Amino acid sequence: MPTSRRDFLKTSVLASSLLFVPKFLHALDRQGLTRMRDSNGRRLVVVQLGGGNDGLNTIIPYRNDLYYNARPTLGIKPQSGILTLEKDLGFNPAMTRLKALYDEGHVAVLNSVGYPNPDRSHFRSMDIWQSGSASDQYVATGWLGRYLDSNCPGCELPYNGLEVDDTLSLAMKGNVRKGLALKNPEKFHQITQNQLIAKISGEKANTGGSELDYLYKTLTETASSAEYLYQTSKVYKSGVSYPNTEFAKSLKTTAELINSGIESRVFYVSLSGFDTHVRQQEQQAKLLGNLSESLGAFAEDLQKSGEFENTLVLVFSEFGRRVSQNASNGTDHGTANNVLLLGGGLRQKGVLNDAPDLQNLDQGDLNYQVDFRSVYATVLRDWLRADDTVILGQEFARLSGLV
Amino acid sequence: MTTTQQHLQHLYWRAGFGPLPEEVTKMGSIRKAVHALFRVSDKVEPLDSPTMHFAEAKATMAASATVPTMDSQVAGMRTTPEASLMRRGLTPEQRKLDNEQRRDAFYAMNVGWLDRMATSPAQLREKMTFFWHGHFACRVRQPEAALQLNNTIRRLALGKFGDLLLAVSQEPAMLQFLNNQQNRKQHPNENFAREVMELFTIGRGHYTEQDIKEAARAFTGWSDDENHQFVFRARQHDDGPKTFMGRTGNWGGEDVLKTLLEQPQTAEFITTKLYRFFVNDVPNPAHILPLAKSFYQSQYDISLLLERLFTAEWFYDAANMGNRIKSPIELLAGIKRTFGLQLDDNKLFVTFEKALGQTLFEPPNVAGWPGGRSWIDSSSLAIRLQLPQVLFRNAEFRIALKEDENDIAPTVPRAERTFRQPVKAHVRLAPLTQLLAGTAPAEQPAKLSAFLLQTPIRPENLALIQQQADRAPADDRLRAVITSLLALPEYQLM
Repeated sequence: MPTSRRDFLKTSVLASSLLFVPKFLHALDRQGLTRMRDSNGRRLVVVQLGGGNDGLNTIIPYRNDLYYNARPTLGIKPQSGILTLEKDLGFNPAMTRLKALYDEGHVAVLNSVGYPNPDRSHFRSMDIWQSGSASDQYVATGWLGRYLDSNCPGCELPYNGLEVDDTLSLAMKGNVRKGLALKNPEKFHQITQNQLIAKISGEKANTGGSELDYLYKTLTETASSAEYLYQTSKVYKSGVSYPNTEFAKSLKTTAELINSGIESRVFYVSLSGFDTHVRQQEQQAKLLGNLSESLGAFAEDLQKSGEFENTLVLVFSEFGRRVSQNASNGTDHGTANNVLLLGGGLRQKGVLNDAPDLQNLDQGDLNYQVDFRSVYATVLRDWLRADDTVILGQEFARLSGLV
Repeated sequence: MTTTQQHLQHLYWRAGFGPLPEEVTKMGSIRKAVHALFRVSDKVEPLDSPTMHFAEAKATMAASATVPTMDSQVAGMRTTPEASLMRRGLTPEQRKLDNEQRRDAFYAMNVGWLDRMATSPAQLREKMTFFWHGHFACRVRQPEAALQLNNTIRRLALGKFGDLLLAVSQEPAMLQFLNNQQNRKQHPNENFAREVMELFTIGRGHYTEQDIKEAARAFTGWSDDENHQFVFRARQHDDGPKTFMGRTGNWGGEDVLKTLLEQPQTAEFITTKLYRFFVNDVPNPAHILPLAKSFYQSQYDISLLLERLFTAEWFYDAANMGNRIKSPIELLAGIKRTFGLQLDDNKLFVTFEKALGQTLFEPPNVAGWPGGRSWIDSSSLAIRLQLPQVLFRNAEFRIALKEDENDIAPTVPRAERTFRQPVKAHVRLAPLTQLLAGTAPAEQPAKLSAFLLQTPIRPENLALIQQQADRAPADDRLRAVITSLLALPEYQLM
């Protein structure tokens, strides 16, 4: 059934392109439809939790006294409905839908993911996670952008990497290729329908290497992508009910694009507001509830269309919080944090490594067990079939047999 | 070389933020124009206004000091340990007020500087301040410290590089940003030493890890006091012998900087960066090496280097004109300058900067903005091309900014990051009308494009714009042509 559905989608995509797309776009579209090299039709959806999510209250070491000692009021009590996993860890009570997915074997948890010499500034640490650099390196490209560079030099259209937002993150900027940011296909399409922009974007871009050629090329690709995404996304409108939040809306758009059959390999979505220095419990529960419900709806949407098997979701935050609570019932900036993987194609599920070691702290902060670039390397090589060493600039030990 | 209007405009775009319409009508020689640029930039006028100040004591006095925490790095911007101690005790409401006041001060500095870029006669000084702002990139939470660093850079921007380097290295903002207050005899912190070498002077590959360690020891004790003044704390300084770049002595921070300046590689590194900023993103060693040599011989005289650069014949080669993608600041300041642009709500300038990817006083990291093609992706280009409609037609500007683009106050609710409003903008078109005086209507689009664009307009675009002009009502003709010209990819270049 899924196969024939995909075939159907493909035919209708083609039909709609032929109907609506102006003539000059055809050539580009055909190039854009060249598949990403060796990607096996798989895609990656990265979910960024902005602000430094408190990992210890997300995946709770509910049998560890050290946890409750460090967080006399902030620690989440066993009786408040912790959703137990394994290794004496449990999801925050707000994460019911993710727990259901976990029970179905669609979730993997990595504890204490981080990097050496962690930086506790939001901006810098996010920069490090997005660029995939070491903490003393300044890299002006993102790991997913470099994936586009490396794996799809011939892909002429930027929608191979899509960010559902108004502006593009560093993560999605490569040296040569960059992703495309759009809140929704209709809105983005409208912009390119401005009379003048529509006309000049239809002009032939010179193939030279000048800055002007680059600008025209980007403009033509943008208009062409906007047209393609707009027409194609009409194929599938989600019937699944999502929470009424911005984040859920972004995931719904993502699901609609995926289920419409567009060829993007990488999607990027953000949920922010995790900088909980005060009154954390209430705020974080709301955010984690939003995360869990939205991802639940997203998974349901993809399961219905048969695309869940080919989709891997990676959830990360720029750092975790300190182990001890602060004076205002919140937590201050910390270091290593958990990473969630979600999808129908996971080969290993459950809690993959040891719970955070609360005994051996570095000045009150967690020591990292897994370098985040090991996670990237695994996803790049084993899931997207890309050259992780080239993209990350050096070799990182991969987590074997994960995806 | 004969001076043409295009050459003069080239000079004004590169050495400043674009020509004024009246400047290109009275054409003199390049040499005269360069001379005038230096002359009017002689005077140093600090950037300042009461709104740019934020007395940290004001919001934090009431709060009681508690234990030190990592909270000092609240928002990706570093604060002094003392300030963080005080912030720690703030109630959520006080904290919010504190954030808002800091943000207001930074907005005032940002908009104030942008305005100055657009209106100051000292174009070269402001342009160089902007260049060094990216070179000595620094991001701190204290408006006072940020403003002081900015004015130090402005004061020394055209002098000797060594003076500038030393002054910047002793600025509290920089010492904090690069953690030198944590660089103590017993526990050296190498961050400052590393960046001074990698990014500020000699560049990667010309020093060893051991040089960094030794330099870090030399910088121990470099700190600041509560009045944002540099202090040398002798008790924290390691006065033992250090071997830096092959020479041994009881070096202090000044010695390290001096030694770095003695390396010709430093002159080459700085000259290359200037060349890429002012001339071409692709360095040409044939142009750069002689410049670097004389820069070194002149003991790093920045004005002399710039004068040689602006008067070099190759500076006006076709290949070096209209080939640089304007950074968001250059784009906005340029429009502001050419058209005397004013907004009813000045904060929107900051929104535009954030949307386009470059906010003054908020470089992405100590390496500064990468520049060039990194400014342009599908989304940022779309915003750039919509901007003329927004500014010249009061069209609605719709955008939701990312949270990390607002990191002065880390958790700005989405509603506050979302803009959806028609922009009330005012532009002056009279100088352009004057520029067009005596030009037949049919010739006006071409004449305007020659003034507004630094790269030849595509013939099909000129035809398009001519059609639009012909269709526009007489009283809207000029505005229609300008709006269209500014929405061309050609206008993104300078």
